[in-house]
Amino acid sequence: MTKTISVKKKSSLTVGAKAKKGILAIFLNLVLWIFSLSCIFPLIWMFYSSLKEKRTFNANVAALPTHPTWMNYINIFKNPDYHLAASMISSVRTTLCSIIFIVLFGFIVGYIFARVSFKGSRFLYLMFMSGLLIPIHSLLVPIYVVFTSLHIDNRWFTLPIPYIAFGLPVAIFLVEGYVKTIPPALEEAAAIDGSNFSSTLFRIILPICRPILTTVAIIQTFGCWNEFSFALVLIKSPSLQTVPLAMTMFRGQFASDYPKIMAALLITMSPIVLFYFVFSKQIIKGMVSGAVKG
Amino acid sequence: MLTSIRPKNRVIFAYLFFPVAIFIFSVFIPLVTAFVYSFFDWKGGPHKTFSGLANYNQLLHDATFWQAFGHNIFLVVLCIVGQIGLAFIFVLMIQSRLVKFKTVHRTFGFFPSTISAVSIGFIWTMIYDYKRGLLNWFLIAIGQGDKVKVWLNQPGLVMFLVTLPLIWQYIGYYMVILLSAISSIDTEVFESAEIDGANGFQRALYIVLPLIKNTILVCITLCIAGNMKVFDNIYIMTAGGPGTSSMVMAMYGYKTSFEQSNMGYGSAISIGIFFLSLIVIGGSQYLIRRLTREKGAA
Repeated sequence: MTKTISVKKKSSLTVGAKAKKGILAIFLNLVLWIFSLSCIFPLIWMFYSSLKEKRTFNANVAALPTHPTWMNYINIFKNPDYHLAASMISSVRTTLCSIIFIVLFGFIVGYIFARVSFKGSRFLYLMFMSGLLIPIHSLLVPIYVVFTSLHIDNRWFTLPIPYIAFGLPVAIFLVEGYVKTIPPALEEAAAIDGSNFSSTLFRIILPICRPILTTVAIIQTFGCWNEFSFALVLIKSPSLQTVPLAMTMFRGQFASDYPKIMAALLITMSPIVLFYFVFSKQIIKGMVSGAVKG
Repeated sequence: MLTSIRPKNRVIFAYLFFPVAIFIFSVFIPLVTAFVYSFFDWKGGPHKTFSGLANYNQLLHDATFWQAFGHNIFLVVLCIVGQIGLAFIFVLMIQSRLVKFKTVHRTFGFFPSTISAVSIGFIWTMIYDYKRGLLNWFLIAIGQGDKVKVWLNQPGLVMFLVTLPLIWQYIGYYMVILLSAISSIDTEVFESAEIDGANGFQRALYIVLPLIKNTILVCITLCIAGNMKVFDNIYIMTAGGPGTSSMVMAMYGYKTSFEQSNMGYGSAISIGIFFLSLIVIGGSQYLIRRLTREKGAA
């Protein structure tokens, strides 16, 4: 039925309708390409501009470099005062530390909420879920006050503490929903085979939960790597600064040297950009499912 | 639920202790602390004097704080229209059979949302720059040299200019969320609508929109929560200036606490931000639910 109608429709297409369709196609594709290219244009602009010297850049900010040079990159890597490399190490450490514990704790707590009822379990569940609602930015000043009065600010382990806490609610929520889709018969069978709670948790449930834990890890990688405001108030030592923080210091030094700032931006963005373009399909899927369910 | 093989309470306690402790320590203890200090006159030093409700009284009459709150609302409204509205239009376009390279658009469009707000702030500062900015270069290139400005110094324009990067950054994000919602709609729905003679606009309004209504509401919620906490871009681009013309709540709390080291008042501002954000997020949720229910009944 559908087929015959569509055939009829096609044959009735006049020349005018075809032209109209052609114009529409050009229009749609053009608009979408303008949008897509605008999204990666800054990367391209920054890359070719970073190959220019300050003087040639200031002469024409949009022109392609006539004599491309890696000078800016070499300068940045040679001068230890910029501590961009140190900041990248700090960022990697902070991000890894936070993700490991968000995934581990999120998995354990999410599983327990999905499977075990105990006194106060409802209360604890609501407490964690309130974390999805609490405006975290209102904690900026209070966390600074608490951390400085306990002298645990400005340490290597400082930032993972709030990052883990803020990452847990979404992680727990996602894991809990996922575990509920697993039939409990699985754990009962394992128990009959003599497996205790912990070994069932880590040997049987953990592998099954791998997809949702990957989603959690992806969401949090971007969250932790890009976080700025808490790093700004909690970290003072240059050697402990994460990438976004180090970039603000770097700009302070080179406010007018745009090619150098661009080179530094590209260096510090490179891990996340590579990660994104290599795994874009999984990342987009993970971020979207995390956002919609959370 | 596990009943027959339920683990011992001791085991549950051991597993829950650290996650619960770290969560309470980072969320509830700071909140309580801020609440306590908000009743003190405290300039960051060792001396704190109890001042009762003085900080809150000041907050209620603080024009800058309410201006900042207004700016947050401005951001929220503009971003809902700009991000979700444009995302919806792009989704409709990308759905068309005439469009090629859909995956490329998705991958490129989503990209800015993975970059830190700090980097985005830097990039747009460079675009807006007076002497070395792309925007002014472009204006001169198309012969509109007289429109060249020190963009971020325009009090009337600056809020719009700091919102633009935010809109640009997240269009692709919402586009992908909406796309995944639309892809779950049966394509037969579209085909039969086409046969019935519905044009693109009608299809968008009467078929697509109602079917992805829930996802759009999720997007709006995300958008509101995201823009109440805006801080990073503003810190990088204008730090709230010129004057206070691009001040947002989080920025004001930061400035009061750390630049004027007025921790007592800063704590009161934090509590203010906490409740105002809760009211806005909760209120919009309530409103959305009310509105959609009425429509459903009609």
